[in-house]
Amino acid sequence: MKQNYTHILSRGLIWAILIISLICIIAPLLFMLTASLMPASEIVKMPYRWIPSGIYFPNFVKAVAGNDGSFIFIRNLFNSLVVAGTVSLTTVLISSLTGYSLSKFHYAGRDLVFMGIMATMMIPFEAIMIPLYMVATKMGIQNSYPGLILPFLVNAFGVFMMRQYLITFPDEFIDAARVDGMSEFSIYRSIILPNSGPAIATLAILAFRTQWDNLLWPLLVAQTEKMKTIPLYIVKFKAEMHTDEGAMMAVALLASVPMFILFFSLSRYFVGGAAVYASRKG
Amino acid sequence: MQHKSNLRRHQDLWGRLFVLPAILFFSVFNFYPIINAMYTSLFKKKVLSLNPPDFMGLENYRYLFTSGDFWNSIRATTVFTLGTFIPLLVFSLLLAVLISQVKYGRKFLQMGFYSPAVLSSVVAAAIWLLIFDPRGLANQWVNFVMQTPGIDHSWFANASMVQFATMMVYFWKYVGYFVIIFIAGLASIPGSMYEAARIDGASAWQSFWRITLPLLRPTVVLVSIMSMLQCLKTFSTQYLFTQSGAPQAPINVITMNIYNTGIRDHRIGRASAMSIILFMIMLFFTWLQFKTTKSDEVTY
Repeated sequence: MKQNYTHILSRGLIWAILIISLICIIAPLLFMLTASLMPASEIVKMPYRWIPSGIYFPNFVKAVAGNDGSFIFIRNLFNSLVVAGTVSLTTVLISSLTGYSLSKFHYAGRDLVFMGIMATMMIPFEAIMIPLYMVATKMGIQNSYPGLILPFLVNAFGVFMMRQYLITFPDEFIDAARVDGMSEFSIYRSIILPNSGPAIATLAILAFRTQWDNLLWPLLVAQTEKMKTIPLYIVKFKAEMHTDEGAMMAVALLASVPMFILFFSLSRYFVGGAAVYASRKG
Repeated sequence: MQHKSNLRRHQDLWGRLFVLPAILFFSVFNFYPIINAMYTSLFKKKVLSLNPPDFMGLENYRYLFTSGDFWNSIRATTVFTLGTFIPLLVFSLLLAVLISQVKYGRKFLQMGFYSPAVLSSVVAAAIWLLIFDPRGLANQWVNFVMQTPGIDHSWFANASMVQFATMMVYFWKYVGYFVIIFIAGLASIPGSMYEAARIDGASAWQSFWRITLPLLRPTVVLVSIMSMLQCLKTFSTQYLFTQSGAPQAPINVITMNIYNTGIRDHRIGRASAMSIILFMIMLFFTWLQFKTTKSDEVTY
């Protein structure tokens, strides 16, 4: 009987800790959501009222129109979508092609190539951004989509993930296709790609998020308002003197909508990235 | 036999062809820049200058190691890294262990704790900038908990508070990410071990210290190094904070110093030297990770 009481007590304690922590974690998100619906005068009222008295639309108008009314937000949003979309597409294509080659072919020098690619994982982007910027300048691609996209076409982690995934792919399928006279490229296209669904989804989402979040590189190469991406828009919007709190949170909310859509519709692959990363072994 | 080797050669060719785009990419966008950075760090080079760069050996490095500004960046980065990754490690492990104890709602809890990671770093920083506003939630909550009504804890004006504020943002954004990694690690510990321990009369507390923690060591090491490497590279939070009027010196982390030195002040040589130092620091931790995970394989 005593055992039972302590059991219930510890259950209760565990739940109490979890729920209080969860409230602390969720509160800032809820703050963003509610504040985006309030006029600035209501946000700064103390204590903060968590339930907005109504929906205050001017926040969203101001968020999209900008403080200067130029509607550059729409163009910046479009840029972010183009860059993140292209990068996740190329990451998936090049990673799977490379991973296929590194897992299912046996040419001389293969392991050397693999090790070389893995070595780039140790090069932080922050350490090569200045030379990369000069490469971009030399190629004349600064302040353009190629400039924003090219340095991120593929990454070592993507190659690693696809290789690990494809190692367990049965050789028999590939050999059978070869016997049937399929070309090596059509084997990749119609056997390898369609059978890598989960890995591709995880990788695509990871690449999309990384670019959606990228501030540093666009800060270097995007020089005109028209080529800026959403993180840069937020920085600019925040730094402007007349920005009010409600509009700021409306921008934050709008910038997060695509990510939350991905998160709620594909959470398995979304969260999967973390677990895959954790299970990587040399 | 002849036929087979022909076939093999044909396949090898395709295999090499498939790997070619990646080789090209990594050469141009990873290997060339890092070699270029090493080379440039030995020169006095300015972006706009038409004169050929002057070779100056290790002068850039000597300058940096005697520069108060650079040491301040090392300090800011170290404080931020230690102050962020240790709480991250402790709390994510604690939360993961607690979540794995409950029967219902695990998925919900995981998603809930993970949700801040969905936001981009800039958005996360923007939210917290408002929370840390003198009239914002941070003051309201702290004053409520400590029963000190009406006090402004000056989250921005005060040098140590602004450092703490950046740590908070980072901790909040990433804690759920590491919770999920720990839960994956915990799931790989066979339940039979706890069963056996319980039969032998071990308490939950004992099982945690004697079973969970030792078997989870590889995950703990992985999470430590991963979070440390991430903290060393932090940029967005500090950048948005300073752009919004926070004092720069306390949170002038290495990446921000590289950016300002190279892009704003056009001192490419000096910025490259800083980049190489950052690279070396991160290389050391990556090496440590490989070394420890290799010797840390757990067998059940």
